[in-house]
Formats: sequence, structure tokens, C-alpha cells
Amino acid sequence: MIELFDVTKRFGSETAVDGISLRVERGELCALVGTSGCGKSTTLRMINRLIEHSAGEIHLDGQPVRNFDEQALRRRIGYVIQSTGLFPHWPVARNIGLVPRLLKWPRARIQMRVEELMSLLGLPMASFADKYPHQLSGGQAQRVGVARALAADPDILLMDEPFGALDPITRDTLQEELRDLQSRLHKTIVFVTHDMDEALRLADRLVVMDAGRIVQQGAPLDLLRDPADDFVASLLGGDDRGFKEAALTRVEERMLPLSPRLIARARVHREATLRQALAVMFREHADRLTVIDDEDMPVGELSLRRLVGARPHE
Amino acid sequence: MRRDAPRPNRVLPLLMLVALAAWLGLVAVSVAPNRIVPGTGFRAHEVVGWAGALGACLPPLAVAVLAWHPSPARLRHALVLIVLLLMALPAWLGLAATRLVDPELPQARLGLGSAFWVLLFLLLLALIELRSRLALSRLVGWVLLVPVLLAWWLALASWLEPLALLQEYRARSDQFATAVWHHLALVGAAVGASLVIGVALALLMRPHAGLQRAGFGVLNFLQTIPSLALFGLLLAPLAWLGANVEWLAALGVRGIGWAPALLALIGYSLLPMVRNTFVALEGVDPAVIESARGMGMSRRQVFLQVRLPLALPVILEGVRITTVQAIGLTAVAALIGAGGLGGFIFQGLGQAAMDLVLLGALPILVMALVADALLGALSERLHPGGAR
Repeated sequence: MIELFDVTKRFGSETAVDGISLRVERGELCALVGTSGCGKSTTLRMINRLIEHSAGEIHLDGQPVRNFDEQALRRRIGYVIQSTGLFPHWPVARNIGLVPRLLKWPRARIQMRVEELMSLLGLPMASFADKYPHQLSGGQAQRVGVARALAADPDILLMDEPFGALDPITRDTLQEELRDLQSRLHKTIVFVTHDMDEALRLADRLVVMDAGRIVQQGAPLDLLRDPADDFVASLLGGDDRGFKEAALTRVEERMLPLSPRLIARARVHREATLRQALAVMFREHADRLTVIDDEDMPVGELSLRRLVGARPHE
Repeated sequence: MRRDAPRPNRVLPLLMLVALAAWLGLVAVSVAPNRIVPGTGFRAHEVVGWAGALGACLPPLAVAVLAWHPSPARLRHALVLIVLLLMALPAWLGLAATRLVDPELPQARLGLGSAFWVLLFLLLLALIELRSRLALSRLVGWVLLVPVLLAWWLALASWLEPLALLQEYRARSDQFATAVWHHLALVGAAVGASLVIGVALALLMRPHAGLQRAGFGVLNFLQTIPSLALFGLLLAPLAWLGANVEWLAALGVRGIGWAPALLALIGYSLLPMVRNTFVALEGVDPAVIESARGMGMSRRQVFLQVRLPLALPVILEGVRITTVQAIGLTAVAALIGAGGLGGFIFQGLGQAAMDLVLLGALPILVMALVADALLGALSERLHPGGAR
């Protein structure tokens, strides 16, 4: 659990972070979003004390971070940055084993842990262990970056725009992998991004920052439905907010049981999002879809009216 | 349309044509009855006749033709021909020596003409061109020179008795060994000392912007003083120290000799050393440093395990530049009695004996090339994972 109490950071006369309070529960993925220079990266880096806060308190599991030894603190917090920050002169396996080595784990245990992480992140040991970072693609390098951050099994992970430099397809894959990983590992993650779709997709809780202050925080759906002001509304996509909301809801949550009517030709998977369902309707010129499961069996139906949440006719 | 016809290599034919022109048109060797009298020049055909001179044109022509329609196999043939030509050069000199130099005259000597130097230069260029076209490694490049050096050694030992350069050497073989040793010792001491001082200065200056400006100002200023003037400036203070401080005098510190030479060499070496070390340490990707700190490495660990190893190739680059520069500058230091190969150069200039100048200049050239190649290879090896 991470708690910030009225935390302020001043650089000279400039105030980068202005009295913010925040609580990130254990196992929660909290996304800090906002325009560049809003203080989100500074906030992140105050947690592992790469930047020291000027006022207020930051607690980790109830302990002020200033009570920890700086290096010991960082070794128990995973840290992932946009440019990966992998050491170019070390091969992949050695990069991943960095923190365990700093913690003086026995060699055999480090070796085992590195193997475990590489298979967890889909990097076959045989073909990647001895490669150097410059031999990796952007996506592979960031997987190594995540593996390195997870190496000593920290409870907390700080991620600073980790997928910002990747192409859209790779970014998509890595976001999916992170969701998957998080559903198994339940780390406490603070995630900085300016990609709103990424934040909406990954976050349990969204924290919108502007000019060093928190403007609004809450569950993604709540923010989409009820933005506090015009800034939050426009950051969340303005009129496109509807699409973003549709992208957060699964078809199976809205579908109705199959009706005795003729089965619609156009079909959509039950785990697809409403946004995808809308796209199928648009493409197929249909106002009704058949919802199918993994075996392609019809399990329900979804009408346009139902999809957009309009009240049924009486 | 010919699909697979590779583009003709224009460099090699051009080099070969210029080589042929030099071979037929320029003075190949000169012969003098003794050291004082200027020699008579001979062109190639005046030594071996037109048939021989034109016959010798065939291998370079073959190289040109092979390179005009290049394929890896053809270029390899051309490479063999070039190496053979380089081996033939000393043999050709031996032939000229037996034909032109009267064995009755012990003082008679054979000088190297302009055609010889031009040919040597062009053939080496051709070797470099072929090495890069065939993508041969550095090591193979050096191995190719082994038969050439063997040929030279053999020729010098057996047929090139009358070569003027050799005669100059023979008259001073003891001095030569001492000069080489002094030269190397001065360069080694200067580079070693400036490496230690330079790295220390760079580390000291790194955190302080003001100190950086002042430090680089002084070093830049030092670099602009002409070397002879710097020797002159050091004369008085060192003479005073030598006269007044006993332990310095015991070391041999005087106004002239090795002490001012070493000091000046260190002074000149500091700028490239400090600048490269500085740039190398500052040039490490800040994201890598940030993540190293973020992982929980201590300052010491970040410096020793991340910053320094990543900077090392660039620092070595500085050592390479400094070493090559110091090898050249040490020649000038002979003027203030520091010894070294420069002595032969200045003696030769004084006596108008160009072969004596060469006896000093050639080893300096070889030293510089070898130092450059060795340190370059080392810095390449140290690049992280063979990257960049």
C-alpha cells in the first residue's frame, strides 16, 4: 500500500507537485494521467526517492519512505521506464538478475529466478539469455525491462510510460500481457502514461493530474460518466468519451437471451467490448448481433438499442 | 540487360594506372658513390630495360582488369597479386642494387626514388581497399602483411647491402636502439602520466560547471603554445629547480634533457585525454544511469559497473589520439636533448642527408601506425556487446 499525504515538490521557485494526497491499495493498478509537465512523473519518482519530496509524507505499508535506506528502498520497488534503461554492456540474463545480485542472492537462486521470469515474459532462455539489448526489438527490450523490475519479486512496481516508445501493435500486446500478469501477480502498480486508452484499459483507478494537483480520481468508468470539469472531460476524449466507455464494457454484460426471432447473421464474441460490437454493426449494416461463445455457439443477442443502453419501448 | 554484372570497382584500376605511370615515368632509384655527392637517378627501364619494365606492368594491369568485373573470387585473386607486388618491391631493389652499385666502392649507396615511395603508397592503398571490399577482419589484414615483412627482412639481410638507409643504420645501430628505447619511454611516461592526471582532472571537474570552464580554458591555452616555445619556457624554471632542489637534481632534472620534454609532452597530452574522458563519462545515456539508480545501485556501483565500462571505449579513443600525438611530438623533443628518434631527423637535416632523416622518420611512422591500430582494436573490442 502506498500513501501520499499532502506531498509537495518544489524545484527552486517552481512547484512541480502541489500538495497531493493519494492512496494506492495493495494489488491495485493506479494510473497517473495528465498532460506533459503536470507532475505525474515527478510524483512517481518521489515514491522511490529518485526525487526527494519537499513537504508532506509518503508512506509505504505505513512506514515513511524516508525511514528506509535509499538503496534498500529502491531494491524492493520495481522500476520500469520508457527507454527501458537496460545496460547496453550486459546480456539480457545479467540485466534481469541485477537486483537479486545487488541483494546478494546465491548464484543458483538468481539463475533460477531469471529463467522463471524469462519464461513468464515469453523470452525463451535459449535464444535470449546471451543477447545484448541492442539486438532486441523494442517490445522484447521492454519485456526484459519488466522482467528486471520483477526480478526480486517486489510488492510495488513503478512504471513510467513503459510502452510509450512502442509501435501500436506491440504496445497492444504488451498491455494485454501486463493485464494478464497483474491478474496473476497482484502487484501494487503506479503507472504513468499520457495515453488515455492505455490508462482506461489497464487501470483499476485513474488519477488525473493538472499543474501539480490531482483534479479527479476514481474508477475509469466513473470518470468517463461523470468528469469533474471540462479539463478532465477533454483529456478523456471529449465527445469520444462514449467510445471509450463502450471499450470498457463487455458484450456479455449487455446481451439478452436468444429471442424466438430469426437469428441475426452478424455475430460477435461474448468477450468482445461494446465498442467492437458497435463496429461490427456498422460494418455489417445490422442493428442486431448474435453473441457467440468460444465454440461459435450462439449464446445471446445484442440489439443496437440495448448496446447504447436506451430504455426499451413500452 | 545484364542482371548479375556487378558494378565495376573504379578505385583499384585508377590506383593501378597511377602506379604504372609512376613506375615508368618517375625516378625509381638513385645511386651515389658516397654519402656527400648527390646521386644519379634511374628510371625503371634504365635498370632492367624496356622489356623488363613493361613486363612488370602486367600484374598491376591484371589487378585493374580483375577489379573492373569484380566478384569475391576475382577480388581475392587481385589481393594475392597486390601482396605479391608488395613482396616484389624489395626484390626489385635488390636487383637494382646488384646492377647499379659497383661492389668495388664500399661507400657507394642506393637511394630510394620517388617512384618507390609512390608505388609503396598506392599498393598499400590497394590493399586497404581490397580488405574493406572483401570485408576481411583487422586480423586478416595484419596477417597479409606478414609475407611482405618477411620479404623485406630477407632482402635487407641478403641483397640490400648498399641501400643508403641501411648504411646509415649500420653506422649507428647502437644509437638507433637507444633512440627507439628513449622515444618509447618518453611516450609511455607522458601518456601514462597524462592518463592518470587526465582522468583525475575529468572526475574532479565533472560536478562543477565553473571548474570545467576554467580547466578547459587552461588546457586549450596550453595546446596553442608551439612546442618549441614551451620547451623554451620550461628551460629557466627547471634549470632553477635542478640547481636548487637536491632530489630533483639527483633524478636528472635540468633545463634541458628529458625533464622539460616529459613535462611539455604531458601538457600537450592533457587536453585530448581530459576532453575524451569527460565526454565519455558525460555521454553515457542518462536513462541508463537513472534506471541503475532506480534499481537501487549505490553511487559507487553506478560509476564502477555502469558509467565507467560504458565510457571506456571513448576514453581509450582519447588514449589513442594522445599516444599518436605524443609519438610525433617526442621527435621535436630531441632539440632540447631529450633523445629519441628525432635526433636522427635533425642530424640528417643538418647534414642534408635525407636517408638519415628517413632513419628517424620511418620508425616514428611505424610506431604511430602500430599504436593507432592496437589501441583502435582494443577500443573496438571493449564496445558493449560489440555494439555501435
